[in-house]
Amino acid sequence: MRHFVIVGVLVIIVFLATYFGLTALKLMPVEASAQSIVVDWMWNLDFVVMCFLFALIVVPLVYSLIVFRRRKGDTSDGEHIEGNTKLEITWTVIPLITVLVFAYLGAYSLGETMAVDPNALEISVTARQWSWQFDYPEGFTSNELHLPVNRQVVLNMTSLDVIHAFWVPQFRIRQDILPGRVTNYRITPILIGNYTVMCSQLCGTSHSYMTAPVIVTSQADYDAWVQSQVTAAQAAAAAGGPANGKLLVQKYGCLGCHTTDGTKLVGPTWLGLYQSQVKLSDGRTVTADQAYLVESIVSPSAKIVNGFPDNVMPKTFGTALTQSQINDIVSYIETLK
Amino acid sequence: MEHTNKSEILRQGAIIFVFLAVLTGLEFFVAVAIGAVALLAVIALVKVALVMYYYMHIYKLNAQDEQLDRHSFEYKLNTRRLGLWLFLLSDSFVFGGLFVSRFNLLGLTRPDLNQVLGLAVTSVLLLSSFFMNRAESSMAHGDRRGFIIGIVATLILGIGFLAGVLGVEWPNAIKAGVTPSASAAGAIFFMMTGMHAFHVLTGVIFLSIVLRNGSRGIYSPEKHWGVEAAAIYWHFVDVVWIFFYPALYLIGKLI
Amino acid sequence: MKKFLTSALVRGLLWQAIGWLLGALFVTGIRFLMGLNPFDQFFFTEPAWVFGALVGAISFVAGTGAMTDWFKWAKGEETPEHREDPPGWEKYLNVSLDHKVIGIQYTVTALILMCVGGLFAMIFRTELAHSGLQFLTLQEYNTFMSLHGIVMIVGILVGVAGVMNYLVPMMIGADDMSFPRLNAFSFWVVPPAAVLLLSTLALGGFDTGWTGYPPLSVRAPVGMQMFFMGVAVAGWSSILGGLNLIATVLRMRTKGMTAFRMPIFIWAAIATSIITLTATQLIGLAFQLVMFQRLLGMGFFDPAKGGNPILFQHLFWFYSHPAVYVFVLPGLGLISELMPVFVRKPLFGYRFVAMSSLGIALVGFLVWAHHMFTSGMNEYLRVPFMYSTLLVAVPTGVKFFSWIATLWKGKIEAPTPMLFVVGGIVVFLLGGLSGPPNATVATDLHLHDTYWIVGHFHDTMFGGYIFPFFAAIYYWFPKATGKRMNETLGKIHFWLMTPAFLTLTLLMMRVGLLGMRRRVADYDPALGFDNYHLIMTIAGYLIAIAIAIFLYNLYISLRHGETATGNVWNSRSPEWQVPSPMPVHNYDVPFEVVGEPYDYGLPGSAYVRFADGSQSTKH
Repeated sequence: MRHFVIVGVLVIIVFLATYFGLTALKLMPVEASAQSIVVDWMWNLDFVVMCFLFALIVVPLVYSLIVFRRRKGDTSDGEHIEGNTKLEITWTVIPLITVLVFAYLGAYSLGETMAVDPNALEISVTARQWSWQFDYPEGFTSNELHLPVNRQVVLNMTSLDVIHAFWVPQFRIRQDILPGRVTNYRITPILIGNYTVMCSQLCGTSHSYMTAPVIVTSQADYDAWVQSQVTAAQAAAAAGGPANGKLLVQKYGCLGCHTTDGTKLVGPTWLGLYQSQVKLSDGRTVTADQAYLVESIVSPSAKIVNGFPDNVMPKTFGTALTQSQINDIVSYIETLK
Repeated sequence: MEHTNKSEILRQGAIIFVFLAVLTGLEFFVAVAIGAVALLAVIALVKVALVMYYYMHIYKLNAQDEQLDRHSFEYKLNTRRLGLWLFLLSDSFVFGGLFVSRFNLLGLTRPDLNQVLGLAVTSVLLLSSFFMNRAESSMAHGDRRGFIIGIVATLILGIGFLAGVLGVEWPNAIKAGVTPSASAAGAIFFMMTGMHAFHVLTGVIFLSIVLRNGSRGIYSPEKHWGVEAAAIYWHFVDVVWIFFYPALYLIGKLI
Repeated sequence: MKKFLTSALVRGLLWQAIGWLLGALFVTGIRFLMGLNPFDQFFFTEPAWVFGALVGAISFVAGTGAMTDWFKWAKGEETPEHREDPPGWEKYLNVSLDHKVIGIQYTVTALILMCVGGLFAMIFRTELAHSGLQFLTLQEYNTFMSLHGIVMIVGILVGVAGVMNYLVPMMIGADDMSFPRLNAFSFWVVPPAAVLLLSTLALGGFDTGWTGYPPLSVRAPVGMQMFFMGVAVAGWSSILGGLNLIATVLRMRTKGMTAFRMPIFIWAAIATSIITLTATQLIGLAFQLVMFQRLLGMGFFDPAKGGNPILFQHLFWFYSHPAVYVFVLPGLGLISELMPVFVRKPLFGYRFVAMSSLGIALVGFLVWAHHMFTSGMNEYLRVPFMYSTLLVAVPTGVKFFSWIATLWKGKIEAPTPMLFVVGGIVVFLLGGLSGPPNATVATDLHLHDTYWIVGHFHDTMFGGYIFPFFAAIYYWFPKATGKRMNETLGKIHFWLMTPAFLTLTLLMMRVGLLGMRRRVADYDPALGFDNYHLIMTIAGYLIAIAIAIFLYNLYISLRHGETATGNVWNSRSPEWQVPSPMPVHNYDVPFEVVGEPYDYGLPGSAYVRFADGSQSTKH
């Protein structure tokens, strides 16, 4: 009986010490979203049980190793105790009930994190190897995610190539981004500040660097930023030429396959493309003049560059873009030398 | 289930075959006339149960042989039987995976395949199972001639099945636009039939070996594990097709 | 030297090279005749490499002679039931039908693979010691990280097979496995699989992690195919090994060994084998589908063709989650097996511990999608899979509580094997306790794919298999060699490795919670993780030193170890009632089970009685 009392007291002490000691270390990042509060609530419940079970197992384990160690010269065996069915049933049933309660709480908290606000701000997210693109309802595109504080936002996310995942540690929620489908990420930022979205599904070579700034600001600052972006986009569209072309290639996702720095992706790079000699898959060599560039945008299968696959690029840009937009894009490509 | 009378066991094989043939016809009719998926599943399960019990003799796994000497042929035979069935259990997870993948990818739709050809190759395979059963029963009763006729018939039908699937069905499907690379539907069709055909091919090789050894008189009514193993394996390949045939040809709307 | 050069291993490697080359040339020739590109970036084209790899792997096994008896059977020839092995070391490099030789072949192969996998870990752990890229490129980092994962997994699978092969027939009183030739075949497919896995390094690597998710794995270099092929080949070892083991336990138990009188490890081995026999096929299938998607453009997982990338994840995890139970169940079985010997008390609640192994294995089939809570699969699937996953905690808890009750009021002795048993329990406890937050969907949304997970599963793998594996080696080394391992070196090994390992994994969990992603070659210094990573790298090096001490101990004990031919640990288990090393066909005198396996402390009780009248001597 004495052993049980000592172990019982020690279990409580170790449990409290582990729980409060580790909690004091601030295990989680700051809570920057309404959802993070729910997740942390659930985490804390889990953590209490984890610390308790840790104490419950480790204390009697260490106690036994010390107190019930074999003394020198003792060659006898231990007590012949084969088991105790009541005890076994107890430590099957109690964990079973605990587990069912936690599963219920888990489902409840999951539901809380998924709560839908019909007035949520909708932003489109396009992920690709290895960059993020954010399309705002006002019609402009950015590589930064700006969010107003205290308003639910839903990100409609898709990928142009492989599977990516959207994760901001301070928001707690994570969602994979799939090619050919739209997945949603729903969040209500509650803390103004600068965060980082990281791709958290291994997506190839530069996976480590697939990050983008996430900036949570007041509604007023957000509106001002949106206004400045809209103005800039309108100015570029009005001016036409390379500046507008640059915006268009961002907006239409061209940069997912074509780089401007010479790297080879699914499609040929644009760096130094204009007026260069291009070797085609059928063996011919042509000059990449203006007519070639226009043709390659409107009917991509007409001339396939050697070493690149056919039927990857959509054949719809001829109708999706106006003639002047195509010209702007071509003029932008011409500037990449 | 010990049958000592040869003609009786051959008759039983024939009756089971008639049952299977009728069920297959019923299956085709149900699919064309009613399209009830649940009913198709029930029919397939009944067919599989018949094959597993009467052709594959699954009940032999329940041999009460605790008293036998561990080194006796009989005891080892039962161990080998268990080993083969465990292998089939393992293998069925491959086919199960493909089967589930088919429904994941296509749901209740199916590619446009030649129905007559589908029914024809299914019948050929079913008939081969009948002859396989005959060959095994003949060997169990010491009838070497009956054994050889049965095995040769099984082999011819097996090769006929392969020719039907690989030589006629595949080119037909490709002509109709169901190619491996065109769509997920084509991909899963070729993968399922290809994986199954690969197993039929290994079965054909297995049967050829058994035929060669059998015609040289290596097997006896008491010791013919090679024949029994080849038979169980062959029937297993048929069992797989009992599921694959409705999954590919009968269930779902045309894409 | 001549014996080495003519051994089955060397012959096999030679045949693999020849087969690989011929297979590749065959496809290249066909491509040439069809007017397709015969050559590519890595000289041969991808189909040529793949076909060559397949032919090479088969050639290896055929070249060793592991299939010769089967060929003879197919030709209608009889073969002798047993084949005598040569007496020296060369039997370990040749095809043997003896389960003890095969068990040791497996175990040594496992140690080699784990050392290679550990070496990969040291390479990229060094890279991670500081933010920024030091000496690896991104692609190299990804390849080493991916290879570390798969080489360790195959290593542990092989180690599991080694322990089970060596122990199970001995423990149940059989003279060998049910199918000795199949057993030899299962071992001899492992070396070519290892060669295939390592060949990825020469063929552009693969950057997908061991999970190989498409579409990323569809875009990776040719090395990806060698990874798929290597896993598929190694998978056959696992499947056939499981088949053999189930048949052996069901059919070869000695007289009187009823289900609840089997040594507890047998229950664990059966539970594990049920998983390897069945579920392994699904990872093979998943990888085959990607191989065909790459080779023939079949669109299983290509959304543009109506395919579904999530389907791959379902097929993959249907095996790969139960796979972790394949690793830990034998480990936990070893803990339950060894503990009564050193506590001198019966295993508390034998039946519950036995059933908990089966329970974990069977529930383990229904939990796979908890790896996919954030994957975008059907949302309604998340809650049921949360319930099933959390249920695994119940049988696992039964094991922990039973161990504690076994220790309670025992007479505990702690030589090296017992140290690793206790260490295993503590480390596995940390792994187990860090599990439920990943199973609860809400918290998993934060934890998934972070270093928290990395810490969690390294704890489960080490506590669940590596620690018990070491315990088993220290414990049964005298049985296999007739010599004892050095106790001092063993204790240094333990006291160096355990604290270092706990530091490593606890810090992994710490940075994971704070925002460290998995599988990144570099991290933002602004996160403030540099110091943590430096400590982790140092801990990693300490583990490596501990392993080096262990290997040195193996070597020195094998050469100069203290002779130990008797019942070294005073165990009741049948294999310790006969002299070490074990005779060739195990028990010259058969035995019968007459009592409970773990009745320590019950005077006059016996577990086994030999046919010549001698009982298990000590008790």
